[in-house]
Amino acid sequence: MFPFIVRRVFHLIPTFLGATLLAFVISQLVPGDFFTQKALEPGVRPETLARLRAQYGLDQHWTVQYFRWMASILQGDLGLSFSSNQPVENIITRPIQNSMGLVGMSIAMLWMAAIPLGVYSAVRQYSPGDQVVSVFAYFGLAIPNFFFAQVLVLLIFVLRGFTREAFGYNEVLLPVAGMTSTNFYQMGWWEQRWDVFQHMLLPAFVVATAGIAGFTRVLRAQMLDYLGSDFIRTARAKGLGERTVTYKHALRPAVIPFIAGIGGILPSLIGGAGLVEVVMSWPGITPTFLNALARQDIYVVLGLLVISSLLLMAGNLISDLLLAVVDPRIRYN
Amino acid sequence: MSDLQHNAAIDDRVAAGPVLQRESKSQGRVVWEQFRKHKAALVGGGVLLAMYLVTLFAGFLAPYGINEYRRFPVTAFQPPTPIHWTDPDTGRLTRPYIYNAVSERHPVTRQRIYVEDTSQPFPIQFFVRRPNESYKILGLFESDLHLFGVEDPARIFLWGSNSLGKDVFSRVLYGGQVSLTIGLLAVWVSLFLGLLMGGLAGYYGGRIDDFIMRLVEVFAAIPDLFLLVVLASLLRDPRNPLAQAFGLDMSSSQTFLMIVIVLGFVGWGGLARVIRGLVLSIREMDYASAAKALGASETRILWRHLLPATASYVIVSLTLAIPGFILAEVGLSFLGLGPSAIDTSSWGLMLRDATARGISIQFVPWLLIPGIPIFLAVLTWNLVGDGLRDAFDPKKRR
Repeated sequence: MFPFIVRRVFHLIPTFLGATLLAFVISQLVPGDFFTQKALEPGVRPETLARLRAQYGLDQHWTVQYFRWMASILQGDLGLSFSSNQPVENIITRPIQNSMGLVGMSIAMLWMAAIPLGVYSAVRQYSPGDQVVSVFAYFGLAIPNFFFAQVLVLLIFVLRGFTREAFGYNEVLLPVAGMTSTNFYQMGWWEQRWDVFQHMLLPAFVVATAGIAGFTRVLRAQMLDYLGSDFIRTARAKGLGERTVTYKHALRPAVIPFIAGIGGILPSLIGGAGLVEVVMSWPGITPTFLNALARQDIYVVLGLLVISSLLLMAGNLISDLLLAVVDPRIRYN
Repeated sequence: MSDLQHNAAIDDRVAAGPVLQRESKSQGRVVWEQFRKHKAALVGGGVLLAMYLVTLFAGFLAPYGINEYRRFPVTAFQPPTPIHWTDPDTGRLTRPYIYNAVSERHPVTRQRIYVEDTSQPFPIQFFVRRPNESYKILGLFESDLHLFGVEDPARIFLWGSNSLGKDVFSRVLYGGQVSLTIGLLAVWVSLFLGLLMGGLAGYYGGRIDDFIMRLVEVFAAIPDLFLLVVLASLLRDPRNPLAQAFGLDMSSSQTFLMIVIVLGFVGWGGLARVIRGLVLSIREMDYASAAKALGASETRILWRHLLPATASYVIVSLTLAIPGFILAEVGLSFLGLGPSAIDTSSWGLMLRDATARGISIQFVPWLLIPGIPIFLAVLTWNLVGDGLRDAFDPKKRR
């Protein structure tokens, strides 16, 4: 196992370098730089701009800039942000944590919803329940994430209006925007956690929908495959209960691709969370990324790209390893 | 005796029957027959066809132009116009009519509300000519005939109006021209790149293969959304290197093309990887060796024998890729980085209006209507793709 990991990691190095080079070249193709926008401000002298450009190394040829940047990345330094004159780490750490929290929550939701639904619709194939699940699976796959978020926000508002008129109940039903309430800093530690958790519920659910739909469909097909196989008949023949047969004999092999896929869905969920973060003003990676891009704060943009592509590659590696751990038929040697 | 005769007759029929019935069918015919048995896919295909037809004739079906609005009296955020069918005096059914909506202030909240002015009904007229609002179908046939309309000063907003008082219904119809075609076009870019790169990698192997597969990995190492956003924001800029090289001014049609290229460019990797795998396995098949032994050139083998063998897979995966492209375009437009500018519309851009600053969606829920056609388009493309996949799969013949 260990030699395999080492080989895979070595294999990732050129890919990572290629990805950083690609990202850097694209960022250099964008005409102008951060200080071009400043040039329009009255009272900014060209000499000042030239001095600032020299200070940030923007007057060098792009290859020089790339190698400087690469050298500092290898030392764990992502460079400086132009707009706030701070290390990029300081700016992107919180958004990355926030996005990871959201994605972690939606993975939990995904598993909690998809496994029971998939098992149910396989065990009761063609029952009305199964058909409802399939229809919802198609819906979940077809509805754009951010549109679903908008619809849910609308529904919550309508519901709030209804409860207010019917019961005079003026409490907030479920927070629909942001990550914290306005009085967040007056709360105790546990209250703060509870507050963030409440804010997370809706966006995490929206991010999870497409995954739930896809997982349910695949799990159903997998379960049907295994339920029709010989070892299940043997298990039934030797008198095992239906529950044991379903959960111990059929479900275990059927979830293997999902356990392996967890590394793969991590980065895809980060991407998928993107537009939902924008709609629900969740302070995550994508809003930060879009802001930095609009301001041409390229080291923040590149820093986020580097971190997210590292996450993506790590996720793929983890899923390969998990596959070997859970599936005895696969061994890397 | 009779038994024997009877048996002989059956034998004859058994011997003759299948021979008579088994005329050879082309693959296309088999696939079509299988596809027809897939009810959901068939319905999906029908809905899809209807949607494309509607967007094709958007100019005729839409009562107003894409950017038509009135400065005064304002029509901003007007809710969907109620259509009346009964005569107010007699209560009998009449031809449909509407009332002019007059803008007022809510006595308490001071919000703008619209009240129907019931003094004068405006019947809905069909096949109206509006010389100021002419349109072209397919860029060829110019006309000013609209399916329906009402006389001024009344306005008919079937699905309400947006912040500038433009008709949401008309804009949804026009928006489909961008949102529905972009997937179809981007898929060709992606197909071209995927076939070229995958075919080359699989057929030549060695260094070329290594290089191309590394390239695919590099592209896959950057999250799609970020790559899309960065490329789109780069290529929408009129000062971008491509525009300067070709002297483009980034008009709306050129921006559209750029976004098509970006979408196709981001999407080719997966296709190339699979084509390579298919070509690698087919290259070792007997018929490819036979062609080689007969002296066929490499290009002939590649184009005539290897790529056609991947056709069924390619058709299915392209059909299933289109909804992904539609969603990508909608997402880009939603971020304001899409193909649509001021003089065009797209469904994603319209949904962006719904989250604009200062808008509370509970007061203007009709701004979310453009999400429904997106959903329908993606759903039906998925259904058709699933149907095609089953139809091409010999194991799933019914």
